[in-house]
Amino acid sequence: MNIEQKRKIESLVALTLSGLAAAIGLFWLVYILGDVLIHGLGALHISLFFNDPAAAGVEGGGLRNAFVGQLMITLVATLIGVPVGVLGGTFLAEYARGKAIARTISIISDIMVSVPSIVIGAFVYAILVRPLHHFSGWAGAFALSIIMIPVVLRTTENMLSLVPWTLREAAFALGAPYYKVIIQIVYRGAATGILTGILLSIARVAGETAPLLFTSFNNNFFSTDMNRPIASLTVTIFQYAMGPYKSWHSQAWGAALVITLFILLLTIAGRLILKWRYKQ
Amino acid sequence: MTPTTEIEVKNLDFYYSGDIHALQKISLPIYKYKVTALIGPSGCGKTTLLRCFNRMHDLYPKHRYEGEILFQDKNILANDIDLINLRSRVGMVFQKPTPFPMSIAENIAYGLRLKGIKNKSELVGRIEEALKHAALWTEVRDKLNASAYDLSGGQQQRLVIARALAVEPEVLLFDEPTSALDPISTAKIEELVVSLKKDVTIIIVTHNMQQAARVSDMTGFLYMGDLIEYGSTEKIFTNPDNKQTDDYITGRFG
Repeated sequence: MNIEQKRKIESLVALTLSGLAAAIGLFWLVYILGDVLIHGLGALHISLFFNDPAAAGVEGGGLRNAFVGQLMITLVATLIGVPVGVLGGTFLAEYARGKAIARTISIISDIMVSVPSIVIGAFVYAILVRPLHHFSGWAGAFALSIIMIPVVLRTTENMLSLVPWTLREAAFALGAPYYKVIIQIVYRGAATGILTGILLSIARVAGETAPLLFTSFNNNFFSTDMNRPIASLTVTIFQYAMGPYKSWHSQAWGAALVITLFILLLTIAGRLILKWRYKQ
Repeated sequence: MTPTTEIEVKNLDFYYSGDIHALQKISLPIYKYKVTALIGPSGCGKTTLLRCFNRMHDLYPKHRYEGEILFQDKNILANDIDLINLRSRVGMVFQKPTPFPMSIAENIAYGLRLKGIKNKSELVGRIEEALKHAALWTEVRDKLNASAYDLSGGQQQRLVIARALAVEPEVLLFDEPTSALDPISTAKIEELVVSLKKDVTIIIVTHNMQQAARVSDMTGFLYMGDLIEYGSTEKIFTNPDNKQTDDYITGRFG
């Protein structure tokens, strides 16, 4: 066997192994999505969105409380997380550029991104739930925003550092103060990238369950009071899937499908924006 | 008639990254409404010198100026100089075109707004004036709202020049403005530079000696951070006093 044949065989082995690995990964992905789709589609009914839960074990009812609660928690988390993340990223990429503090914060953010979300839930429990003696929507939103901040911060930092320095110099050379250079030139250049980061971070927190278990807990009744426990899709799925009733299981599948689709759409939107940006 | 001195550089030393001595005891006058070319091999300090005139170095840490640059008899290296004001009086055009990510009209309005001009009709008038000044008007008059990135490289460079002119600077710095352009665009920029000197004082850094000879009235030759020779362009290119200058312009090194 000469060296060329040997290389061909090696190449074939490598190709087969990597193809197999990809197939195994994809198989489970398709399996999960397919399973959610099959079970979820059956439960998708208009009442799921517009009715509140029926009494335990009784057929019918919906998850309006969980949809509204989920939206409120996610919205508040976004309102806290996005400004803090974007401004923090701006500080790192612009004002603290090249300084030790910027590198330190970047590294800490990277660690924060991979901290198990239940740890963040327990942390917020300790500072916002225990001292106040009750679960609340605010605590849930706060926990999600903590997960969001490092994601938005790092994306913003990366996107801002992709804007060429010559562009900033050109604006300075016209006599622009730094804050105007950032707001009017740098943000414009990085807008689509930052927006994508924000969308992906919303997608990331919308699927979180663990931090909400400790903070916003759950509520079987319709409530928009953020000072009290509030329902969320993810915690409801957890509770219903563990419950003894057939109708609960079915509704849990429906909710799982809706949240999966929501996250899928956000992610696709994020990718499309990025693709559109770099085609220009 | 002796020309007026607009800028007087006196014993200028410049250090960056702490202690790298990039310019050594530079002294030269820059004459009003003349084109002054700075030439020399790569790394000789010509761009470094150019960026002293609008204190661009101040954007980066660990730089140090010594000596004086008198701009209309005021030392612009003094600590109390308002850099925003200085940079609106001393404009700059860079090596690569630097259009902002916005429309053609917005690019020019940007500088005007910085100067506090907000009146819509005045903006429109000043945008047209600036584009005409930079010989770009006829090419872009129908697409003022198109993205500046849709223009060719040469057009982008003229847009950037129009943007710099719109704020009515007294001095305009050009840092190798044609090194990223094709010959036809280069010729247009060179024509423009010559035509602009009736309104502004121009300092241009160039790698291209023919370009320096074509556009400038005065030429300074720098080598390793020293100003080797400074004089009228005609003299520098035909009968330089210094052997190194002669070697450089005849292409024996650099």
